[in-house]
Amino acid sequence: MKVEALEYGDKRVYTVASFNKGVGAWLSRLPTVWVEGEVTELRRQAAWQSVFLTLKDPDGGASVGVTMPRSKFDALRLELKDGERVHVFGRPELFEQRGDFRLRALSIERFGIGEHLAALERLKQKLAAEGIFAAERKRPLPRLPRRIGLVTGNDAAAKRDVVTSVTARFPAAQVLVAEVYVQGPRAPAAIIDALRRLCQQPELDVIVLARGGGSFEDLLPFSDERLVRAVATCPVPVVSAVGHEQDTPLCDLAADARASTPTAAAKLVVPDLRDLVERLDRQRAALARGARRGLERHSQRVIVLVERLRRAPALAVERKAARLERQAGRLRALSPRATLDRGYAIVRKREAIVRAAREVEPGDRVEVEVAEGAFGARVE
Amino acid sequence: MSELTFEQAERELGEIVERLERGDVPLDEAIALWERGEALYRFCRERLDTAHGRIEELTRQSQS
Repeated sequence: MKVEALEYGDKRVYTVASFNKGVGAWLSRLPTVWVEGEVTELRRQAAWQSVFLTLKDPDGGASVGVTMPRSKFDALRLELKDGERVHVFGRPELFEQRGDFRLRALSIERFGIGEHLAALERLKQKLAAEGIFAAERKRPLPRLPRRIGLVTGNDAAAKRDVVTSVTARFPAAQVLVAEVYVQGPRAPAAIIDALRRLCQQPELDVIVLARGGGSFEDLLPFSDERLVRAVATCPVPVVSAVGHEQDTPLCDLAADARASTPTAAAKLVVPDLRDLVERLDRQRAALARGARRGLERHSQRVIVLVERLRRAPALAVERKAARLERQAGRLRALSPRATLDRGYAIVRKREAIVRAAREVEPGDRVEVEVAEGAFGARVE
Repeated sequence: MSELTFEQAERELGEIVERLERGDVPLDEAIALWERGEALYRFCRERLDTAHGRIEELTRQSQS
């Protein structure tokens, strides 16, 4: 599009109309986009060609004028009212007569709680299918963390509640607090950044993500896909203490543990000092008992060995005496006396035992030994 | 011992107690175990008794 300029020497000057026309031409080249906001100042009149409304960020920030041809608007049958959340599909446009910039809507969709819930549900299904919420992914929490990271809003309540509950159970707790935006569109990135920075701190063993109760929309950042993924992949176990019992932001499902109150969160991250000291003292008593029992068993064994050692020499003598007796018995059994008792006699000729008749001749003198005594005899 | 975490020390103490209670440990080892157990106990108690609570703020500057 050609824009005519007036020439004053070396100065090029535009009329308001041509300036607007030029800017308008630039704007019209921008692509169509979806814009989310709250409807205010909706103006629709049967006599008008277009419907006008102002689209606003809910936390009171920016706003932009929106126009839509009335026939198109009516065809949508949205029955929109001020304060409703919508998604507007359109492109920027300049109303050249006035130099007003606005969003020219091609379509408008209501985005209420119902649509929000449906979108959340779809996200939940998707993340669940990826296994982000799986029980196997949950890590155990340390029993006594060296340092505890606390991510909390700059509203004092949530921070105070968690800190008081933690120090009541365990006065020596080391808590590192990261205060961040926990509400609005900047919250997810801020919380992710806080998680990342806490994880860089030395000795940090667990992180508590805490936020007090709030409206459905207040808690939405805690269901943000990027934040949910950051919680699931956080190098340090995360306890989610967001909202109240009935709220289930998706980060609750991705965290390693979930607490419905600050007190419950404290219970999860620090042990009760009194319980701990008591158990430790019980362990020590058991240690002493165990050591004593072991010593007793060993000294008992030593006593038994000493007794056996002392008995050993006497035992050896006894054993030898017994063996001697056995040998004597066997010796006695072999003695010829028993044979003589049965009526046999031993005949000796000059001290030699006579075993055959031819060893003697008539007239020889022999000695005859019987069971009781001996006498001489002569061979015939 | 200082490189141990409280949990590791506490777990080891429990294991030592169990071994000693089973009673099948050689004497020298039993004495060594007992001494180790006492040291672990002292370590744990010290961690509990001497630690002071500290609440700090993570500042922007601590971002490296």
